[in-house]
Amino acid sequence: MGRMRSYRVSGLRVASDLVLPSLIPIGPLGAADVVVRESEVPEMLDGATRVGPRWQIGEGRFVIDLPGIIRMMMIDGRELLYRVADGADRREAAIFVTGTGFGILLHQRRTILLHASAVRVGDRAVLFCGPSGAGKSTIAASLCEAGHDLVADDFCAIDLPDMAVPMVHPDGRHLKLWEDATEGLSLVYRKGGAVRDAIRKFYVEPRTATGRALPIAAIYALREARPPWTPGIHVPNMVDAALIVRRNAYRPLLVRQMRQAPLYFEAAARLAGSIGVYSVARKLDFAGLPALIAALEAHWRSLGMLERAA
Amino acid sequence: MKRRFWLASYPKSGNTWFRMLVANLQSEHPVDINRLPPMPGIASLREPFDTLTLIASGLLTHEECDLLRPAAYRAMARFEEIDPVGLEDGIADVVLAKTHDAWTLTAGGEPLLGGAAAAAGAILIVRDPRDIVASLASHNGESLGRTIDFMGDRRASFCGRNDRQDPQLRQQLLGWSDFNASWLDQRDIPVHLVRYEEMQADAAGTLARALAFAGVAISMETAARAARFARFDSLKAQELKGGFAEAPRPHAGGNFFRSGIAGGWRDELAPGQAACLEAGHAAMMARLGYEPGEKTRKCA
Repeated sequence: MGRMRSYRVSGLRVASDLVLPSLIPIGPLGAADVVVRESEVPEMLDGATRVGPRWQIGEGRFVIDLPGIIRMMMIDGRELLYRVADGADRREAAIFVTGTGFGILLHQRRTILLHASAVRVGDRAVLFCGPSGAGKSTIAASLCEAGHDLVADDFCAIDLPDMAVPMVHPDGRHLKLWEDATEGLSLVYRKGGAVRDAIRKFYVEPRTATGRALPIAAIYALREARPPWTPGIHVPNMVDAALIVRRNAYRPLLVRQMRQAPLYFEAAARLAGSIGVYSVARKLDFAGLPALIAALEAHWRSLGMLERAA
Repeated sequence: MKRRFWLASYPKSGNTWFRMLVANLQSEHPVDINRLPPMPGIASLREPFDTLTLIASGLLTHEECDLLRPAAYRAMARFEEIDPVGLEDGIADVVLAKTHDAWTLTAGGEPLLGGAAAAAGAILIVRDPRDIVASLASHNGESLGRTIDFMGDRRASFCGRNDRQDPQLRQQLLGWSDFNASWLDQRDIPVHLVRYEEMQADAAGTLARALAFAGVAISMETAARAARFARFDSLKAQELKGGFAEAPRPHAGGNFFRSGIAGGWRDELAPGQAACLEAGHAAMMARLGYEPGEKTRKCA
């Protein structure tokens, strides 16, 4: 086993023998919540009750295989075992451990997990959710450049304490942006290493990032401004707001396959009832971003989250 | 369990029109073109792929996505719960999934679209390639000449860039001839051939026969009403009024529903351009019953 490194993600302390570049490095741990280590991983899970394309779910176990890259087994939300495919690069495999692997592991822990980026506004956080390609990272990157701390880039683990404001935990310290976005946002100078050698997507260091959980002020669901959606911020009714939250679970299929639908129904109702949920329709280009950022900041001032301009 | 059929076509061959006809079968009023069920009705959408494989397709190369796609489509046929809202293109117990992917094999030797375990069959819509040129040029924001080259290029694809995340998974189109040959010559699933020109001449009858192939019986009265609701000029008028969510993103400012005329190429292509296209696709044109032009000059 390689040297163990310590990280924090989604409020958990992680000990890992694989370098996980997108997570927040921390000092040596006493006891870790999650251990990531190289190990044999079975191709087939004994006693699998649910089987998908190259994944299998058994009692407390989840195996997923990415051909030619990595095979992982998540156990009881505590252990993530992996085997890098022959000929594949360990560094290349890391992004799948911190993405899909931790996504599944957090679902095993029954964490409410949204597919969202988040930035800090005042003393609170706002979330941007939407499917892949909707612009979550792009908008987070723009807001970081405008002076807001990065909270999360890909998924948001949410705490719903009784009688208190919902909280979001950071998922790392890096943004992950496509080359065209680093150019469109003039962030080439912050561009770090490639997420994978074969993909023109890069780690980008935000101006500032926060390492602590923050109360959630608002959730925005991103969609492309195409008919019938006009550009701008729209306010859904409470039922649609709850639906937006449920549809933006990190992996909606896992919610159903792992029998967590009631958990997410309740969480969605609480989030829709206690904080603002909005739809943001935007054109998928970079030219419109400054106007969008201005519209969002105006929205935050109207909600009392930012001080009004004098 | 629902039965899935591919609604396959080379781009700009009437696929969306066919979907509009099907959508209008189940409506008392003309269906809004922006209320076409979006998923999982299109094979190349990222979201169903990401949902089922649990992997972000944007972190995979096109080739790695292709290795996972067959299993994803087989899972779509098996899981009936891909979309929490349950919007699906289709009718009765049949799901119609649009695709512009040619029928190709992955590096692992599997049909990209998952073979017989992923779909019960395919409705293949073909159109006179000369009528496709101007429509596709407008769609791609390219010249007619470059579009003719594109239609003859075995490496042609949609969403095949590497520096950004294209909105959909890469679709390997091959060329026009090879695209149609790939579907007609594969032996994994049965194919029902629909000619665009037949849809224009008799939309109701063509629709009824295609759905009968999929095992869905509809009355001629219902089919005729759908054909009336989804007349090409009505769709075009809707797009002019309210836009179309599936239109190409802004470049040349072209509309999705353009002319929809059979034989319109005579006014759109220079004789030499038509001759080049015919020379490159003579065998498939003959196979599909598209006669070569008489007065066209030689391909320069």
